[in-house]
Amino acid sequence: MSKTQEADDELFRMILARYGDRLTSQETDEVRKIVRRIANTSQELRTVQLANSDEPMALFQPYASEDEL
Amino acid sequence: MNSDVVFTPLRDLAELVRTKQVSSLELTRTFIDRLEAYGPRYNAVVTVTAERAMQLATRADEEIKAGNYRGPLHGIPYGVKDLLATSGGIPTTWGAAPFRNQTFDYDATVIRKLEDAGAVLAAKLAMVELAGGLGYRYPEASFSGPGINPWNSAYWTGGSSSGSGAAVSAGLVPFALGSETGGSILSPSSSCGVTGMRATYGRVSRYGAMALSWTLDKIGPIGLTADDCGIVLDVIAGWDPSDPSSSKRPYQYDPQYSFSSRPRLAVVGDDLQGIPADVRANFEESLRVLSAEADITEIKAPDFPYEAVNQTILQVESVSAFEDLMESGVVAELTDPGNHYGGYARTAVLARDYLRALRIRRKVALEVDDLLSNYDAIVSPTKPLTSVPFGEEKGSDVSPAPRNTVSSLANLAGLPAISVPNGFGDHNLPTGLRFTGRAYRENTVLALGRVYQSLTGWHLNHPAVAP
Repeated sequence: MSKTQEADDELFRMILARYGDRLTSQETDEVRKIVRRIANTSQELRTVQLANSDEPMALFQPYASEDEL
Repeated sequence: MNSDVVFTPLRDLAELVRTKQVSSLELTRTFIDRLEAYGPRYNAVVTVTAERAMQLATRADEEIKAGNYRGPLHGIPYGVKDLLATSGGIPTTWGAAPFRNQTFDYDATVIRKLEDAGAVLAAKLAMVELAGGLGYRYPEASFSGPGINPWNSAYWTGGSSSGSGAAVSAGLVPFALGSETGGSILSPSSSCGVTGMRATYGRVSRYGAMALSWTLDKIGPIGLTADDCGIVLDVIAGWDPSDPSSSKRPYQYDPQYSFSSRPRLAVVGDDLQGIPADVRANFEESLRVLSAEADITEIKAPDFPYEAVNQTILQVESVSAFEDLMESGVVAELTDPGNHYGGYARTAVLARDYLRALRIRRKVALEVDDLLSNYDAIVSPTKPLTSVPFGEEKGSDVSPAPRNTVSSLANLAGLPAISVPNGFGDHNLPTGLRFTGRAYRENTVLALGRVYQSLTGWHLNHPAVAP
């Protein structure tokens, strides 16, 4: 088993630890499939080269209410 | 009042009201009667706001009689997707059983703006529960019942603005508001054979709207024509201090907007792979019609994992938006089985992946804008299928719906788009044609919609709604 797969299994176990008592066995299987897909999506995101200077699209803007300016 | 008047575009309807050939009260009564009689047939309506509507219509008639005409929406009834807050004890259900009795003590900004323009709120319209926020799998996902397509009752309206699409299609309201995170205005517009507009992200305030994904959610109109959408957008667009994402760039609808030379349209070739024959045939015929007025070029979209970026952003933001619902276990009360566990699974998305998606998003926005600087719009089929029959999966976090590159890249980049009816496919189901433009170029895509509707008559077709 690869390290990536082990990490994905850990994520799945984390979800089970937190919410497992709310899930049927069928739902648990579905959660496992979604976690696997999320892992694939994560790999897809890594097909794009990013430079250190590539900032997120959503930027924080400092706030001050109008009457304080 | 006959059904020809019911299926009248807003500009003509407004003229009837302005010249007092039809009163707002008459018009409102007509549409309320239709909402009550036919709304249940399509599961299109959650609440008919009759009392509020009759008060607003009475006021509109008095103002018009006194010579205080406010503009083309004065006295015109409409409906809104039931994720927009309404005051006065009118429920705002978000399409979900746990919220069936939820009320607010204020109106969403878009409703306030429409009322300032004299429009008459007649209905809160059905929607997919939580706008599909936790990964629903089936078209039946609403506490008010499956959104039944007025063109074929065995098929879905498309979602998540299901009631908004069906209500306009069936002539239950002259226009409606929907919301879109990844396709929820244009999808039901296409499947129900009406015209829908998604404005640039931030163009329309979302204050008072249920949040699903703060960086993807948009609100927009659904009507019979592109001109209808422009008239409504003109009223609801604009900066709102209550919505930090709203844009300060001014907007005014220009119904006379025309192109100085032949419009330049781009077709994303990859998006046509694997689409069914009926959708493809209608699209190719649309291109043939448009080629009389426009230059059309096939292009390749910049190479990005659009759907992976979209999904990552949506999954993280939706889980945050609905965290209380998840942690309390109330998701078990939702209608769709996928919503019972989808949110839990989505907690597996890592923070670094969310940020990576937002970083890629900036590159997408820059490259797509650069590409679009050579064209007036991308033209594409609105959906890679007509609709989904009840009982079948519509796509999920495990098995995504068919690829729709233009929808993904445009929602990521927050671009405006319009969907206009462009024919019928198998099973008598409508198909749609979409024009996607550069950010803040709503008047360009609206003009393209008007050009197409001046060349074709698909928007003049209406389903048989007789008892």
